Formats: sequence, C-alpha cells, structure tokens
Amino acid sequence: MTMDDNKLTFDKITSDLTHHIRINKGFLIWMGFLTISLLICLYAYSLQLSKGLGVAGIRDYVTWGMYLANFVFFVAASLIGMLISAVLGLIGMKWLTPITRIAETIAVAFAAVAGLVIVSDMGRPERLAYVFLYGRPQSPILWDVTVITTYFVLSLLLLFLPLIADMAIIHRKVSTLPSWLKPVYKVLSLNFTDHPEQNKIINRAIRILLILLIPAALSIHTVTSWLFAVTSRAGWDSTIFGPYFVSGAFVAGSAAVIIAMFFFRKNYKLQDYLTDMHFNNMGKVLATVSLVYLYFNINEFLVPGYKLKRADAVHLHELFVGKDAILFWIVQIGGLILPILFMLFRRFRKPLPIMLISIAVLMAAWVKRYLIVVPTQEHPFLPIQHVPQNFVHYSPTLIETLISIAPFILVLIIITLISKFFPVIPLHETAREKGIEHIKFD
Amino acid sequence: MRFTKLLFIIFIFSFGTRLSAQTWVVPDDQKAITAPFKFTPEMQKQGEQIYLKNCQSCHGLPGKDNWVKLTPPPGDLAKEKAQIQTDGELFYRITAGKVPMPEFRNIIAEDDRWWLIAYIRSFNPKYIQPNPVAKAAFAGRTVTLAMEYSDPMKKIVVTATEQLKDGKTGPAASVEIMLFVKRYFGKMQVGDIKTTNTSGKAFFEFPADLPGNQEGYVDVSATVNDPKNAMKTTPAQANFAIGVPTLKPGLTETRAWWSTRGKAPVWILLTYTLSVIIVWGFILYIVYSILKIRKLSNG
Ligand code: HEC
Repeated sequence: MTMDDNKLTFDKITSDLTHHIRINKGFLIWMGFLTISLLICLYAYSLQLSKGLGVAGIRDYVTWGMYLANFVFFVAASLIGMLISAVLGLIGMKWLTPITRIAETIAVAFAAVAGLVIVSDMGRPERLAYVFLYGRPQSPILWDVTVITTYFVLSLLLLFLPLIADMAIIHRKVSTLPSWLKPVYKVLSLNFTDHPEQNKIINRAIRILLILLIPAALSIHTVTSWLFAVTSRAGWDSTIFGPYFVSGAFVAGSAAVIIAMFFFRKNYKLQDYLTDMHFNNMGKVLATVSLVYLYFNINEFLVPGYKLKRADAVHLHELFVGKDAILFWIVQIGGLILPILFMLFRRFRKPLPIMLISIAVLMAAWVKRYLIVVPTQEHPFLPIQHVPQNFVHYSPTLIETLISIAPFILVLIIITLISKFFPVIPLHETAREKGIEHIKFD
Repeated sequence: MRFTKLLFIIFIFSFGTRLSAQTWVVPDDQKAITAPFKFTPEMQKQGEQIYLKNCQSCHGLPGKDNWVKLTPPPGDLAKEKAQIQTDGELFYRITAGKVPMPEFRNIIAEDDRWWLIAYIRSFNPKYIQPNPVAKAAFAGRTVTLAMEYSDPMKKIVVTATEQLKDGKTGPAASVEIMLFVKRYFGKMQVGDIKTTNTSGKAFFEFPADLPGNQEGYVDVSATVNDPKNAMKTTPAQANFAIGVPTLKPGLTETRAWWSTRGKAPVWILLTYTLSVIIVWGFILYIVYSILKIRKLSNG
C-alpha cells in the first residue's frame, strides 16, 4: 500500500466508525424516553423508601423475590466481557476484534448496575457501607461485594485502555463532535501519539487485565451461586451450582451481545464491520455455551430427581408439573432446547434470526433466575406456622415490578451513552488490522 | 416472533400484580361480645401501662397520630376508624392480630385486653359502654402441677393438685402430663405422655445420657396435655442435677466458619486478604502505567 492508499483507508475507517458520534434528534428522543421511564421507576422506589419493603410482594417466606432474580441476572450478563475478550481473545480469535468493545460495554453496564440492584432489596439502603465495615470474611456476601467491585473496575479499565488511542483520533479528526466535548476527549486521550512506548504500556496493561479478568469473572458468578448453594435448601443445595451459574451466564451474555450487535449494525451503519460472518460465529458461540448449560441443567435436575429426597421431591414436583411448571418448561424448551436446535442450522445464524433467537434466550434467562430464586423459598424445611396466604405464595407487586425494571433502563442508558460517544468498534485496532502501521498525528 | 410474543404474554400473566389488600373481617358473633365488667378509671390506668409496653411501638400514643409507617398502616386508635367499632371488634382484633399486627391471645391475659380497650375508649368522649355481660363461672378443672426428683426411685415425680368444689384442694387423678427438657433451641419432650394416678402423681424416667450444664443441671418443665383447653392449668418448672456434666465451649468461642468476624479461621483471612492485595496491586500498577502514558508523547 502506498502512503496515499493508507491515508484513504484510514480516513474511511475513521469516518465509518465515528460518524455516529454527534448529538442528533434520534438520540435525544431515545434518551428522553429512557429518562422518563427511569423517573417513573424511581418514583416507585421512593415509595418503597418511605413506606418500607412491605410495598413489594416479598414476605417472611420469600424474602428474595424479583430483586434477587434481577441481581443474579445482571451479574450473569456481565460475565460475557470475560468470555469474549479474555478467553476467546487470549486464544487468538481474530474475528472478535469488532465485538470486543460491545462485550466490554455490556460487561461494564451490567456489572455497575448489579451493585445497585442489590440495594433495591435492602430495607435500610443507607447502611450499605456496613457490608464492608462489618462484613465477616467467612461470609459469601462479603466475597460477593468484593469480587463484583473488582470485576467492575477491571472491566472499566479494559474498556478504557483501547479507547485511549481512539479518543486521540476522535478529538483530532471527528468534525461532528460537539465543541464542548473536545477537551474531554483530549484529556482522556492522555497525549497519545502512537508512540511505540505508549503502545507497549497499553498492550501490556491489557494483557494483565485479560488474565486477571478470568479468575475475577469466574469468582463473581461462582460466589453469587454460593449465596444460594451454601444453604442446605432444596433446589439450592448443589455442588455444581458454580459451573451451572457460570455456563448460564455465558448464555445470557452471548445473547445480549448478539442483540446489541444487531442494533448497532443497523443504527450506526456498521454492515461492513459487523458482517454475517460475525453473527454466524457468535451464533456458534451461543450454541456451544447453550449446550454446556443444557448439560449442567440435566445434571442439576436428573440427579436430585433420581434420589428424590423428600424436600427435593416437593421442589421438583412444583417445577415439573406443579405451580411453576408452565414457566419452567417454557424456559427450558423455548429458551434452551429449541434455540440450540435452530442454531445448528446456518440459516438461523443470519443476523435477523439469530437476534430473535437471542431475545428469546435472554428473556428465558431472566425467568430462569426467577425460578432458581423464588420456588425454593416457598417450601422451607420448617414452615412458619399460622401465616397469611401471601407469605406462602409470592406474587410481585406493581411497585416491585417497576423497581425491577429500573436497572434495565439504567443499563440501556449506560450502553447508549458509551456507544454514542465512542466508536462501537475499536478504531485504532481495526486500522492496524487493515495494515495501517502508524497513525500520523499532526 | 410469535414465540417471543407468547413468552411475553405468559410472562405478564404469571406475574399478575396483586397488591396485598386483604380485608380484616371480624365474625358477627365476636362483634357482639361486650366486656365482662364495667370499665373503671383504675382499669384505664392499668390499660395505659399495658398499652405503653405492647402497642405504642407501632400505634404511637392515642390522639397524637404518631404511629409507625407500616403496610398496612396501624393508625391512631383514638381516631374514628377504630372508635366506631364495637368493643367486641376491637377485642377480637387485639386477640387474633393480622400481620403485621401481632396476635396477643397468649401474650396479654383476657382481662388485661379488656383494660386496654378501657384505655383506648378513654380518648373518646362520646363512648358509652354497653352493659357488661359477666362470663359464666368456669366449670372445668383447675389443676396445678409440682415436680420433684426422687433419688431412691431415680424418677421425676410430677404431682397434680386440683381445686375441689368445697374450696379445698386435693390430688388430681387422670390428668395427662408431658415432661420437657430445655435444649439449645426450644424444648424436647422426655418419654411419653403419662396419666396421673389416684394420688395425682405421674412418674417419669429421665434418660441417663442427656447432657446438662457444667454441674450436670438440666431445666425440666411439666405441663398438662389439654388440647381442648378444658382446664385451667399451671405448669411446673425445676432444675435437677440429673444430666451428664458437660463443658462445651460456646459456639462462637473458637475460630470457625460460623463464628464472629474476629474469630474467622486464619486460612480464610489469609486467602481473602492476599487475593484482594494481589489483584488490587495489579490494578494500581495499571492505573500507574496509564498515568505514564501522558508523559510519553512524541517529543
Ligand atoms: C408490630 C406493630 C403493631 C403492634 C405492636 C400492635 N399493632 Fe395493632 N395494628 C398494627 C397494624 C399494622 C394494624 C393494621 C392492620 C390492618 O389494617 O390490616 C393494626 C391494627 C390494630 C387495630 C385495628 C385498628 C382499626 O382501625 O381497625 C387495633 C384495635 C389494634 N391494632 C390494637 C393494638 C393493640 C391494643 C396493641 C397492643 C396490645 C397493638 N395493636 C399492637 C400493628 C401493630
């Protein structure tokens, strides 16, 4: 390639990947919609703050309702950053480059919000700091807050490091950037000039992060599963809860990434970068992790079902043929088995079908968390005597539902902001892979 | 797409939003009940003491509207909502409770519950007490238990006495007795139910292998088995040195998983602290090297 060719390709890549970085009407309408929805949900939360947790359907039997299902779901979805960037990235899968930032954005958004979700279940949220101040090092609760904080910081750094070079390019070359934002990009780009030493530092830091990310991510979801598995209740008392949760998390996260890819590709016109090949490959990833998850599901239900200890029998009965059966089978068949079967065929791994499959998988993933958290609590070993009916059968209230929707809106806001103000696809890295060795900064 | 729609519809249906707005109905025969005696200022004073101890924590002081915010709200009992109800209704609500309002059936004696109503009514100048209907005298047996340990027999002897018609007391025959020993949580029944003989006595063998405290003392209690509440009974309690002397360290005295924060096992402390230090050490290093990037621009 000649210098001129180089410049041409580079300019094209830059404009392709950054043309969406501007404040336009669509963006304002979408953010306005999200903000209003969030305010409605926050109003519901203010009711809970002033009236107490009694406004939610949680009672003395089911104390962990939708809020905790939400928490597990958010932690799960955040794990995808580690699978895409660290595991597959370290193996050296080159096709992943345009997807890494999407995965990291999802990881950061969900991990940040997961911490907040747990607060929605607290009657005295102003005492949150007590978890750190008075936490017992023996308690998985303390481990959980520790690893979630750590994972969030690691993911944030991993999102930031590749952005340094991109921001250096943006604040010099992107004319649509609002002028008041320019200095922010300049400061955040840390005087990056594509100096070899600078690249060396960034690459080394990224490598360290990728390696740290694997144990951190495994810990956050394993520890989250231990919050359940270290109690001896039917449905939670399981030795494979860790891997069961982790594999389920990859399913939810891969689905979330595919959905995000689809919308970014369409809205930001990234068809040349997020190609059918990427959807096809992500479909394969989703199919693979779903198969692993199916395997753990079979273990998780067949083994206690074979032994049928008394408490397990009650629990499994409710899931298989009882009160929760409809949800359970929809989730297992519609959210796991059918998607796997579809994804075996190439034509269902095209962008639109795989996106629709991912939506089904993601919704099922949420309901699955609900089915893990709630039914177990409805059959305690030592039932409390003479309690009202609404203790025994949990049903979420409207206020509780609104409060549970808030985190989803927050995640959308965070993802929207990150994707709107930064290239969705790593710019500097893409340029390099297209053979542009050194970027001229004038 | 149809599939996702279906999923969505089922999703909505199965989480139907029901607010817990059950009503609190008092049965008609309970509504009509009146106090068995005429309320006196003395009773109101007694009622106030009971109120301050048991009710103020939620209902606040009557007339002050300073009740605690709960769902459903407890409300001020001096206000119309409570005062338009009959004495029988109030009595039933205090007796039966409804979550989160506690059930006071076994916590506050019957007469005392009426005194509470006397107190609550004292805030209502328009209140006129309906004619008291004295309760029929109690017709069942009134049984009192006592208990001792007989060394020669190696048995616990429970003696039941009862109030006789002529005002004297005498042995209570054919009363069913249950014996309990206190354990970590609650009580454990010792042996089967025994029936008192003609001299009002029941004999219980005590297992030789039950742990006692350091000196071998165990707390035992005897109660009458009276599921239909046909008698008025007084249980007996005692402690005897008949257990195996046991010296067990308290559950939180050694380092253990379940112990307090200060008594965490050393290996957990080490693993936790080291992991945090190592990972955050790397994080700090990365932040430090990010700062270095600034200084390295092409000069
Ligand atoms: C734990 C808090 C709590 C305590 C303690 C408590 N209550 Fe209540 N009480 C309530 C609540 C909450 C309600 C409303 C229940 C409902 O409407 O479903 C209530 C309702 C009542 C009502 C019915 C009021 C009405 O307007 O219908 C009466 C009477 C009452 N309480 C008396 C008492 C008395 C007397 C005591 C003390 C012996 C007491 N309560 C102790 C919480 C409490």
